Amino acid sequence: MRLSSLLNTSMQKPLLGLVVLGAFASGVCAQIKLPGEGTRPEAHLPTIPDVQVQNPFKPFDQPRFEKVARALGATALQVKTFGEDLEEIGAARAADNLLRKALPKFDAAVLAAQDQDPKAALLLAQVLVDTKSPLLQAHVRYHMARLFLTSDDPERAIEVLNDYISSNLNHSPLDGEAAYFYAQSLAEVPMIDDAIPRFRAFLAWFPNASERLRSAAHQRVLELELQKESRLHMLADGMKKTTRDLRKNKTDKPVQLDQEGYLEELDVLIEMFQEMEKQSSGPASGLNPSGNPAASSALPGGEAKVGKLNNKPSLADRWGDMRDSERKKIMADVQNSMPPQYQKMLEAYYKKLGKADRK
Amino acid sequence: MPVSAELKMLRFLQERVNKKTKAADADAETNPLAQDDYDKVSKKQARVKELMRLLAEKLGKENGVEGGQ
Repeated sequence: MRLSSLLNTSMQKPLLGLVVLGAFASGVCAQIKLPGEGTRPEAHLPTIPDVQVQNPFKPFDQPRFEKVARALGATALQVKTFGEDLEEIGAARAADNLLRKALPKFDAAVLAAQDQDPKAALLLAQVLVDTKSPLLQAHVRYHMARLFLTSDDPERAIEVLNDYISSNLNHSPLDGEAAYFYAQSLAEVPMIDDAIPRFRAFLAWFPNASERLRSAAHQRVLELELQKESRLHMLADGMKKTTRDLRKNKTDKPVQLDQEGYLEELDVLIEMFQEMEKQSSGPASGLNPSGNPAASSALPGGEAKVGKLNNKPSLADRWGDMRDSERKKIMADVQNSMPPQYQKMLEAYYKKLGKADRK
Repeated sequence: MPVSAELKMLRFLQERVNKKTKAADADAETNPLAQDDYDKVSKKQARVKELMRLLAEKLGKENGVEGGQ
C-alpha cells in the first residue's frame, strides 16, 4: 500500500503530530516507533504458493531413501556409511554426502558451488537436466537455491525452491533446510510478511532440524518483527530490492512506481522528523559516528549459514577475474547444452553476476 | 545536522535516481544495448540504499528512534 494513501490527508496530519509529540513527551527516547506501515516494493515480486495450514512434510522414510540412492548408483558400503552418519551429522547432511559420493558429477557441482566457482550454476543445471530422479532433483535444487541466495539473487532462489516444493517434496531429508532457505529467501527480497509465517512453520514442522538452523530461524523471526517496525530499515530494504531489479535491466513502470513510493515515504518521514525536531529541545541527530556499528544479520557458518562469513572471493569476484575465453565457454555451454527454461535462467544469472558489486 | 535535513538529501538523491531510471527505460526502447545506463542507475540506487541504511542504523543506536535492527 502506498504511503500517500495512508498519510497525506489534512485530517491525518494533526494526528501524526500528536503521535510524534506524545512519543517525545513521554520522556523515554528508547524504542520510539514511527507510526504508519512504511513502504514495501511491489515490482516483479516472485509468485509464491500460500503458506500451508497443514504440514505437507512427511517424516523421513529411510528405507525408501536408501532404495532410491542404490538405484542412483550408491554402493552397499556407501549406504552403510550413510546409516552410521545419520546420528552423528543428521539425516540431511548424511543424505547429501551419500549422493555426492555416489554421483561424481553432482559432487563436482556442489564442490564448485562451495568454492564460489562461477561454473557451479551451469554444472548444477547440467545434473538437473540429466536426471529424472525427484530425490536428486531435490538435492540439486537445494544447492542451486543456496548458490543464488549467496549471489544476492533471492528471487531466483525462490523460483528454484518453488520447483522443489511442487516436484520434489518428501523425497529427501533436506526438506527442512529447503523450507528454512525458502523463508530466508523471502526475507531477503524483502517479503517480510510472507517470510515470518514460513520461518514459524519451519520451527513447528521440523522440531528435529539442526539446532543451528532452529536458532537461526528464531533469531530471524525476532529480527524481522523488529524490521517491520522500522520504517527507515524497511525503506532501505525496498531500495535494495530495486537495486537488484535495475541490475536485471528492469526499469519498467512497476519499478518506477516503487521508486515513486520511496519519495512519498521520504516526504512523510521528513515531515515526521521536522515535527519531532520542532517539539524537542534539539534536532534528532543521525550524523554522529557510531562507536558500535551494526553487525551483519548473516547467520553462523556450516550447513545453515547464509551471507558472506569468510574472506573467500565472491562469485562476482571469481566471474570478474576469469579470462574472457573462460566466460565465453560457460555462456556457450549454457546456450548449447541447456533446455530453454534453464538457458534463460542461467543467462540472466550470469548477466547479473557480471554486474554485481565486487569486494 | 537534523535528521530531516539528511532525509531531504536522500530524497534529492532518490529523485535523481528516479529520473535516470525513466531515462534508461526510454533509452531501452530506442537503444536496447544501452547497458551503461542500467549499470549506472543501479549503482546510484545502491548508493542511496547504503546511505538510507546508514542513517537507519545510526538513529537506532544513538536515539532509540526506529531502533529496529
